[in-house]
This record gives sequence, C-alpha cells and structure tokens, in this order.
Amino acid sequence: MGPIGWLIIVVIVVVVAAAAVVVVRRRRRGGSVIATKDKR
Amino acid sequence: MKLLMTASQIHGLPVVTVRGGEDVAEVRDVIYSPEAGRLVGVTLNKRGFLAGRSREVLPAEAIHAIGQHAVMVLEESSLVARDDAPDEVAHPATERDVLGNDVLTEGGTSLGTVSDLVLLVGGSGEVVGYQIDKAGGGQGYIPLPAQLSVSGVALVVPNITEEFVADDLVGLGASVDDFRARLGLK
Repeated sequence: MGPIGWLIIVVIVVVVAAAAVVVVRRRRRGGSVIATKDKR
Repeated sequence: MKLLMTASQIHGLPVVTVRGGEDVAEVRDVIYSPEAGRLVGVTLNKRGFLAGRSREVLPAEAIHAIGQHAVMVLEESSLVARDDAPDEVAHPATERDVLGNDVLTEGGTSLGTVSDLVLLVGGSGEVVGYQIDKAGGGQGYIPLPAQLSVSGVALVVPNITEEFVADDLVGLGASVDDFRARLGLK
C-alpha cells in the first residue's frame, strides 16, 4: 500500500475516534428536564 | 436581579463557590416540581472532559444564585451527598423527562411539543413557561399556571394558553402575569 493509502487509513481512524469521543462525552454529560411526581 | 433562563442554558453551567471561587461541579439534570411550580434542584457532573455523574447533588435551597455563566453556591459543602438529599433530587424519576412531551389544551388542541423549560432565576427558581416546537412549525413560548399537574406523555394546559403563545422570552415574560390574572391566580 502506498503513502496515499496509509494517509486515508489514518484520516478514517482519526475521524472515527473523534466521533466516538463526542458520543461518549454526550452520554456521560446527560442533561434532562425532569418533573417530580405529583404527591397529591 | 431576576432573569428568564431556559433549562438548556443551565445545563453544563459550572458550579462555583462564592467563598473561594472554586469550580466544583457542573449542572447535569434540572429537576422541577410542577405542583409547586419551582425548581427543586439539579444533579451534577464532575468536572473534566470525560468525567461522568457526580455522587453529589444540589437542592434548590443550597443554591446561592443562578446566573448566565455559573451557578453559585456558598461553599463546596453546599453540595449534598445523594443519601442526605431529598429523594426527588437524589433519585430523580428520569422517565419523567418532559422534553418531547405533547402540549395539549383542555379542549384537545395540540400546541406542539416541549423543547425546553423556562425558569425565573434570581428568586426561588419559579417555573414560568415552556419553550415549544409549535405544531405548525417554528418555536414559541407558553406561560404556565403557578401549579400544573404532569402525568403520562402529555401536558394539559388551560384553553386560554393558546392566546398567550409568545415568539421569544421577552414576550413570554410580559405575558405571564396577564395569563395568570386571566386564570384568576393573581
């Protein structure tokens, strides 16, 4: 495989890793608006 | 100073101590009581890029102030361990996330779906309205009665709410008192 092929592989790995970090971060950060239960 | 803020503006805000200026946590979930029409507390994330949920929470009584850029507490000990906090803050009913719920009038007209909660901060954290994705497209703001019952996946509001749909927060702020006066609440 030539240098262009390696470059493409590196770019794909970096993009997938960045997307995974974003997904994990969003899941860990959460963020909801929760209504408490009606006690009446 | 009193200020209208949406829950999404409060999510992710740093929690900072008044005494010392330390950045001790970050806001995760906003928990409110539809019965009391006010904020009851927030759950927290630890600080850090990939840090997760904190074991401590922040009841509304422990909040010194909510501002545009930070939630202020007097000191780090204002954060309360889940075991010592009121149950509704320590173990929030996550299935009762109101975002995405339908808003229906008592007459059966759909006004849209809830996209955010609007709070009057600077006092007791009064809940004054919802931001909605309107049924006909676009966004709007509806005022809420001082007390509201939430159950299931729909929020049922008085029929006159339809007349008070505002286009922005300024319009909502101006309409809340009129709306409540019409309902005979003030």
